[in-house]
Amino acid sequence: MGIKSLLALMGACALFAAGCGSDDKSSGGDGGSADTGQTKGAKAIDPASMDSAKGAVTYCAGKDTSGDLVKGIEDFNKANPELKAKLLEFPESADEQRNQFIQRQRAKSGDCDGFEADVVWTAEFASQKWLLDMTPYVEKRKAEFVPSTLSSVEYEDKIWGIPRVSDAGLLYYRSDKFSEVPATWQEVYKEAAAGKGIVYQGASYEGLTVNFLELAFAAGGKIISDDGKKPEIDSPENLKALQFMVDGIKSGAAPKAVTTYMEEEARRTFESGRADFMRQWPYAYSLGNKTGSKTKGKFKVAPYPEFEGGGKAAILGGHNVVISTYSKNPGGMLKLADYLTSPEIMKSNAVEFSKTPVIAETYADPAVQKALPFANELKAAVEQAKSRPVSPVYTQISQAIYKNVNGALSGQMEPAAALKKASGDMEKALATF
Amino acid sequence: MATAAVPAGPPKKGRSKGMSERRLAALMVSPSMILIGIVAAYPIGYAVWLSLHEYSVRVAGLSRWAGLKNYTTALGDSEFWSAVKVTFIFTGGSVFFETLLGLAMAMAMHAAFKGQGLLRTVVLVPWAVLTVVTAIMWQTIFEPSLGFVNSLLGAVGLPNDTVWLGESPEALIVMIIADVWKTAPFMALLLLAGLQVIPNEIYEAAKVDGATAWQRFVRITLPLLKPALLVALIFRTLDALRIFDLPFVLTKGANGTTTLSLISYETFQTNRILGLGSALAILTFIIVMIVSFVYIRFVGGNIRGMAEE
Repeated sequence: MGIKSLLALMGACALFAAGCGSDDKSSGGDGGSADTGQTKGAKAIDPASMDSAKGAVTYCAGKDTSGDLVKGIEDFNKANPELKAKLLEFPESADEQRNQFIQRQRAKSGDCDGFEADVVWTAEFASQKWLLDMTPYVEKRKAEFVPSTLSSVEYEDKIWGIPRVSDAGLLYYRSDKFSEVPATWQEVYKEAAAGKGIVYQGASYEGLTVNFLELAFAAGGKIISDDGKKPEIDSPENLKALQFMVDGIKSGAAPKAVTTYMEEEARRTFESGRADFMRQWPYAYSLGNKTGSKTKGKFKVAPYPEFEGGGKAAILGGHNVVISTYSKNPGGMLKLADYLTSPEIMKSNAVEFSKTPVIAETYADPAVQKALPFANELKAAVEQAKSRPVSPVYTQISQAIYKNVNGALSGQMEPAAALKKASGDMEKALATF
Repeated sequence: MATAAVPAGPPKKGRSKGMSERRLAALMVSPSMILIGIVAAYPIGYAVWLSLHEYSVRVAGLSRWAGLKNYTTALGDSEFWSAVKVTFIFTGGSVFFETLLGLAMAMAMHAAFKGQGLLRTVVLVPWAVLTVVTAIMWQTIFEPSLGFVNSLLGAVGLPNDTVWLGESPEALIVMIIADVWKTAPFMALLLLAGLQVIPNEIYEAAKVDGATAWQRFVRITLPLLKPALLVALIFRTLDALRIFDLPFVLTKGANGTTTLSLISYETFQTNRILGLGSALAILTFIIVMIVSFVYIRFVGGNIRGMAEE
């Protein structure tokens, strides 16, 4: 039984890869170091193609837990009877969504005309020539978007998607205990150590990369060189940030268990009143104010404070609409994307579904201000948010960060050794063929 | 001559008939052989083929012949060897404890008493639970602040601030406990089958000779259970060597729980390094083959030994 199921497993692995086998030509060339111009020759979208679009369109996105996409597509179908849009839902986990996307693109499947892509996937997908170049369309709307959100769709001076939802971490704090947020991270941790502590996302996964980068960037650190070829993670600034996190656990400012926390664990700890501070995405705001939550009406949010001797930094999250190279109806898909990212939908998404807008003026709308009382803080956080390293091998770079940072947080490695190892792992990642 | 020719006829006829029978047999077997070829041989062959190439993760559709480079990379990587170590510690630990526990459970189930059927059913419940569900359940039990284990430790005055899944080797221990809980019933079931074929007369004879319960267990039960025990051990060892779902759900490989299957998955699926990922899968396959080969020789020898007795 053992061997057979192993064979079956490997068979599945191999068969899965078969989709890409057919067109893999052995070139024997160097290829591995060619870092520029990988997107050369990518097809560009024709903005005019959406005017006469008709037929069926499928948009593929992660499970729509808040319901904004389901409603958006329903309304689109009512307003555009000549088009029939459908939502295909992928699993909830970001890794699984990426798997689904990659499998379909490898098989050159036209099932999905458009995808809801995480902001960190742009470089990888564009360099694989899986996306249509959206520059001609987005160029005209450039002024509408918050600039940081646009940077998440740029790669090699082209624009590969339309920002749809943004996200930036916020500092949640108990307003019944603190009248305002301390000015620096150091003071936040001091207050936390004296009180009930701070929780964040410290488990070995993508979330920890974000949590670490927020502090590292604020401390003045960098991850890879500007040309994207060399790791620069092993620096005094990054060491300061990592040491700060490690000391935070040692001093009791953050619970030891934070090394196993993802978003939900942190949220539950904060909502049950077992922490005074929390680093969290905006989604926890409305949940924390629900009846039954111990924090109802007792907490506020703020953009991040400064890192002593450094500055402020946040990391950009969110999703972009991208159109597949293999779409049979790119015009129809563009029309849907145009609708889903329009100022009207942006506003109703913020009001009805607490989605972070990507269009700057949406934040100022009175209805939005009322629905998201922290809209100004949120806008400030999104504006100051930086992108994660842009690279076609981003997943490996992120692994190099979160695995080693987690190792340092759980006390298995000294912070200096962890950064050195991260640098080595990153070098390997950047050298991947 | 004529009489000699007569007997010569049938064998000749028989041989030609044999040939066609063999051909017929081959013909009849061929559909399943082709099926096995498609289902088993082709994917393995393809995985081997992939493992001998490098597929670019940067440039679409670019690939090159790599020879054994992926294998030397894997074998020269400390992460591979740490995964081998973790996998073997996990396998050794979990198989050892589930064999002990399974044997005890089998002995209990074998004894005739009222409610035997019910017990056998109840004992099998953990085996029926999905591994992913098992993992989530144990994750909850070992949750540091609200979990059952730390609450219990606190109640009896022991230190209760261990972050079980956030420390090494605690995380691996939790993984072993979860696996033992889940698969000991499977072990018990296989061993129970072994116990039931041991004739009762032997025990009765031993009793008449004045053997104690312990002597009967060591001298009769264990030796006669050996074939069943070894089959059960093979099943569990090969399964444990391929462990994927427990670390995937419990820790994602953090804190010294990255197993061979997990590292292959991450390389192949998450990082899209098809060549190296396939090489890792093939290496895992080879390790499992070697272990099963050792076991099968062991069992084979044992069965032959018993037949000679």
